[in-house]
Formats: sequence, structure tokens, C-alpha cells
Amino acid sequence: MQNVLVYVQHKGGSTPKVTFEMATQARKLADQLGGKAHAIVVGAGSSKLAETLKTYPLDTIHVNDDADADAFLLDPVIDYIDAAARAIGPALVLVANTLTGKDVAGRLVGRLNAGICADVTEFKIEGGNVEAISPKMGGAAITTCVLKPGDYGVATIRPNAFAAEAGGNASVAAIEKPAGKTYSIVVEKDVEEGTGELALEEAPVVVAGGRGLGGPEPFDTLLKPLAAALGGAVGASRAAADAGWVPYSLQIGQTGKTVSPNLYIAVGISGAIQHKVGMRSSGTIVAINKDGASPIAEFSDLMVVGDAFAIVPELTKLVTASKS
Amino acid sequence: MKIVVTVKLVPDPNAEKRIDASTKRLVRTGVETVLNPYDEYALEAALQLKEKVGGDTTVTVFAMAPESLKETLRKALAMGADDAVLLSDAGLEGSDVWATAKAMSAALKKVGFDLLLVGGLSDDGSTGATPGAIAEYLQTPLVTNARKAEIVDRKLKIERETDTGYQDVIAPLPSVMTTALTFGEPRYASLKGIMGAKKKTIAAMTLADLSLDGAVGTAGSKTELLSFAPPPVRGKGQLVEAADGAAGAKAIFDFLKERKLV
Repeated sequence: MQNVLVYVQHKGGSTPKVTFEMATQARKLADQLGGKAHAIVVGAGSSKLAETLKTYPLDTIHVNDDADADAFLLDPVIDYIDAAARAIGPALVLVANTLTGKDVAGRLVGRLNAGICADVTEFKIEGGNVEAISPKMGGAAITTCVLKPGDYGVATIRPNAFAAEAGGNASVAAIEKPAGKTYSIVVEKDVEEGTGELALEEAPVVVAGGRGLGGPEPFDTLLKPLAAALGGAVGASRAAADAGWVPYSLQIGQTGKTVSPNLYIAVGISGAIQHKVGMRSSGTIVAINKDGASPIAEFSDLMVVGDAFAIVPELTKLVTASKS
Repeated sequence: MKIVVTVKLVPDPNAEKRIDASTKRLVRTGVETVLNPYDEYALEAALQLKEKVGGDTTVTVFAMAPESLKETLRKALAMGADDAVLLSDAGLEGSDVWATAKAMSAALKKVGFDLLLVGGLSDDGSTGATPGAIAEYLQTPLVTNARKAEIVDRKLKIERETDTGYQDVIAPLPSVMTTALTFGEPRYASLKGIMGAKKKTIAAMTLADLSLDGAVGTAGSKTELLSFAPPPVRGKGQLVEAADGAAGAKAIFDFLKERKLV
């Protein structure tokens, strides 16, 4: 496997930033493997998106604005990726580790008889072999997965793990619609929810609150301003979600989301194992808690024992001031 | 209608996990094996659909696991599944996603189904990719992350979660489906269910039943697990007692500045 192919997940031309992280990484991998960096983007808005993608260090972007890619569930997209992958030969396909990305990756394992390494945060090329490194089981283990060199390979990429660096001038090429296909799963309705807010799993900074906040209001009055100042998102512990203070979509932990931002600030969270597994692979962990003996002290880089209601507003002021 | 649910048997997720550095495997000693919690949601969805569709609808549970874990499947039967199939073979050990999907799809083709529910994720570090690979090998449509499902005129109507919201989709039967955790909390096994489970059939299958065209297991896999190690220990960091809000904020701000995070 020499070439690298990035599957660009998007909706109407809007794509998560992990796409640009993958485009940047694809270049590095292709250079080390002695191949080319390709991307494929299909569905409404693809041509428009390709104009932005083109400023990242790819060689070729394969594009089709085919409306079928939106009218039917995933099948057309898989056929396009399959066609592109077969045209360039045994390749490493990079897919974002999102809900859609996991589906795409699984389908490609079957379609291309490919090996898969999941939730990758780092690559190494050793003697022409692709080695992919991933945290597993909520950070309880680190695995190194090697893809068999002669076959196709698929890697799902964890958001925020790789840098995105613009620079490049890729060529944009139309890819032909795969012929003779019929599609059976009809998308009747496609609804966007919670737009405008940064997705928790994608956020470079997460400010999370727990039982210690005592109610729903501090999430808005205390945590939101700090998260906004840091360019991040608000999360919560299970205790806060169970109490109905925040929706379950904000819950981080075993039964909620797994996040790995560069910075995680835990406010009034004790750090039970159920929470820990959802955030322990974060870059830097800061905890604010009135109890210095809470379990979170054991895995925080900085633990501040004090009154969160007094500390957080002051911290928000300092962060805001530092930016102006 | 025949509904088949695949379940994975995993070490109890509530137990803290440890890795044996020499075998690169999870330490299972002293840790109970349970049904993968995510798969219990898929089973719940299957049982709900059975209740709604009625008639001669049956729910079969399918697992690929060592024969020694057979009794763990009784939990699924106690919850209400009608019977179970267990695919066990030493030749399956060490199978990666590709090999697992290859073997499971061959077995599931033999079992037969109108609707196949596959757990979307597993707790012991899998990829979420297995359902997609199985659907490809079965050449059957795949609908993932369902939070509501009904069967109308032999079609599957599904509301599914997406990265940006939700979708309503209609799929034909047979199809492969995965469920989101919002589908509904798995039911508890009743005493009657537990007693009844003892009499239900767990059929055995081995690789010899599948006539695969190549090896699976470690030898046939497309990936190799080079290392499986505990993460670098995150040592206990600094602890600062903050006299007041300003002092606490300053301690954090200085720390973030030092790490170039602000």
C-alpha cells in the first residue's frame, strides 16, 4: 500500500475539521510510503467543498455532486469510494472516527477485503509497513496495529489527534458515477440538531461540570463563558445528566461520550471510574474541586482545591484578557 | 419473521481493566464475562420488535466465543430470546475485524434471518466497524444507530441518529440494523425467564460448518496487534489550595500559560 485516500464526510459542503487534519496527515503518510495523497468527496456541495480542500496538501481530489449520495443511505458513497480506491490500487483509506465514519470504515473492510485500525492518534511507517497507534478501552490500553502491506487498509482517525496545516494546490477531478447500481435505503428526512455549537468530541477544550455545581444554572452562567473564552465546549458528568441539569448528549464517561481534548477542565466532578474512562486520554487535565481528596486528584495534572463559583469567573476574566 | 441478534461476550466493563504485558491480552482472571452492554440494547430492540410484529416472530441470539463461555448466553435467553447459536473454534482465536466479519457472516448466512441486529460497539476496545463489514459480506442493506424502528408492509421504518442530528429512513427486508443506546433500556430477566432459559437450545457451530475459502484467526487476519500495553502512567499532578477565587484562577492560568494552552 503506497497511496492514501481520504474519505471526506460532509453535509451540503460543510465538513468537520478532522477532514483537514486527515488531508494534512495523508500528505505525510503518502510521502513516507512513496505514493500520492487522494481525497474523495461526493454528494451535494462537493465541488464547493473541494475548493477549500484544495488548499490542503493533497494531490488529487475526486469529486461528484451526485444527489443520490444524499437521497440514499451510504450505499452510493461506498460505491464511489470503492471505485476510487480500486482505480488507485492498494491504498490506505483514512476515515474520520465519527458515526458515519465507522459505518464507512466497516463497509470498506468488507468491500475491499481490508484490514482496519480504529481510532488512530498516531502513525509510524516502519520498513514500508503502516503502524497505527490508538488508545483503547477509554484509555486503559495503548495498542499498535499493523496493516498487512499487500492489502487495502482502513484507518479511522480520532478528531484533534493530528494537526491541520493548509498549503498546497491539489487538482480537482470529476469521478464518474459507478454504473449499474440500484439503491434500496431511502432517506426520507434528514434533520440537523444543535447546530452552531461545537461538537463535544471535536472540541479542543472541554469544560465539564458535575454534582458539585448543584444545579443547572452554573452550566450556563459559569461553564459556558469559560468554554467560550477557551474556544471549547461544555460537558458534564453522569451525575449532572442524571439529575436533569443538562441533556444526556453532554454526558462524558462510560455510558456517555469519550473525549480527548487538548485541555480538559473538570469543575465539581469527583472523578469516578465511570467518568474517568470518558476523558482520561485528554492532553492536560485540570480539576477544580472543594475536596482535595476526591479521586480526580489522582489523574489530574493540576488540582485546585477551592470554591469553583469564585474561581471560574476569575479564570474566565484572565483568559479573556489574555486574548485582547 | 426471524430476527437474529449478535452478541459479544466481554469482561465485565465495571471492573477496572488490566493488560498482561506478555500476552498482550486483557486479564480475564477474576473478572466475570458478561454480555456486551451495548448488545443488550440490540437485544432489547429485537424483543420489542418481536412484541410489535407478533405472529410467529422469533428472536435468535448469535455469538462467536469460546465454548467455555456458553452459559453466559443464558442471560440473553432469560431476557426473552427464543434460542441461541454459538460459533466456537480454536481457529477463530485472534481474529481481527476482517476475519471476524468473514466468519460471522458465513455463519449468519447459514442461520438465516429477515432482520439481523448487530451490536454497534463493544466495550472491550473494538472498532464499530464489524456491522458494516458483515453487511458487505452478506450483501444485505445496513442501517445503523436506530433509536426507533417499526416494520410496516415488510419494510423497516427507522429513525436513526447521525453526526449532525437524525434521519428517517426506509429499508427493505432482509436488512442489517444496529441500535443506538437511546432505543430503550434493556429489560431485566424475570424469574420465569431465568427458569425458562435453562430449557432453551444453544446450538453449536464450528469452522467446519462454514466452508470458508481461507484462514481466519490470527493467521488469516489483515492486521497484526504489535503491542497492547497499559498507557504511560499519568502521575498525580500538582495540588494547589486556593485561598480565594483570584488565587485559584491565577494558579490555573499560570499553569495553562506554561503549557501554552492559553
